[in-house]
Amino acid sequence: MKEITAIIRRDKLPETKNMLDELGYPSMTIQSVDGRGKQKGAMCAEMDSEMPDSYCAAVKLTPTPSAYALEHTLPKVALYVPKRMLTIVVPDDVVTKIVKSIIKVNQTGKHGDGKIFVSPIEGAVRVRTGEHDGEAIA
Amino acid sequence: MKMIRAFIRPEKEQEVVLALEGAGFPSLTKMPVFGRGKQKGLQVGPVHYDELPKALIMTVVDNEDVDRVVKIIQDKARTGFIGDGKIFVSPVESAYTVRTGEAVL
Repeated sequence: MKEITAIIRRDKLPETKNMLDELGYPSMTIQSVDGRGKQKGAMCAEMDSEMPDSYCAAVKLTPTPSAYALEHTLPKVALYVPKRMLTIVVPDDVVTKIVKSIIKVNQTGKHGDGKIFVSPIEGAVRVRTGEHDGEAIA
Repeated sequence: MKMIRAFIRPEKEQEVVLALEGAGFPSLTKMPVFGRGKQKGLQVGPVHYDELPKALIMTVVDNEDVDRVVKIIQDKARTGFIGDGKIFVSPVESAYTVRTGEAVL
């Protein structure tokens, strides 16, 4: 069993759900999360250039665009972007298929499309019946 | 790759995030959660708080960076009092960037 954690755009959730329904894996957990990637939020990529060199010496700490943005209360800076996090537990053999489908549905080619993580799951139990592992997620 | 999930005090969240960014780990996901630990919540006089608000910071890093990231979170989130939180590290087999479709972090 593997756990697929996909952090995706909010407006792509309905499409992703329909796609998973069609593939036959409709069970999932959805969470509303805030996140950021390499670009440090929505506006911080542009902040790197705005940050004056003297700032680094002045603070005597590792300077970060986020810290600078907070100190100077710059407008239009979003340190976090609201996202939806999907968690699906599936059998080993369909992981690649599902990952590829999620990528296909969610790809816009712009920054902020999200990440997908695949991690091992050691056990599963269906609470209602007490079934274990493979049967529990079937 | 490893997934690091840190349950920390909400008021320490910004400090931790800025420290991580300064060390070159800007990517993370955060969410508000409620939980309790060994002390079964918090007793203030006659009032018992069973579920305490915490911030959950989730990030995925390469194996060799795990110790560094855990240390940064620990240093910044520590107050020395009960309720500082927990950090969990779990394995991640693969990570995909949706924009490019590549299997890289």
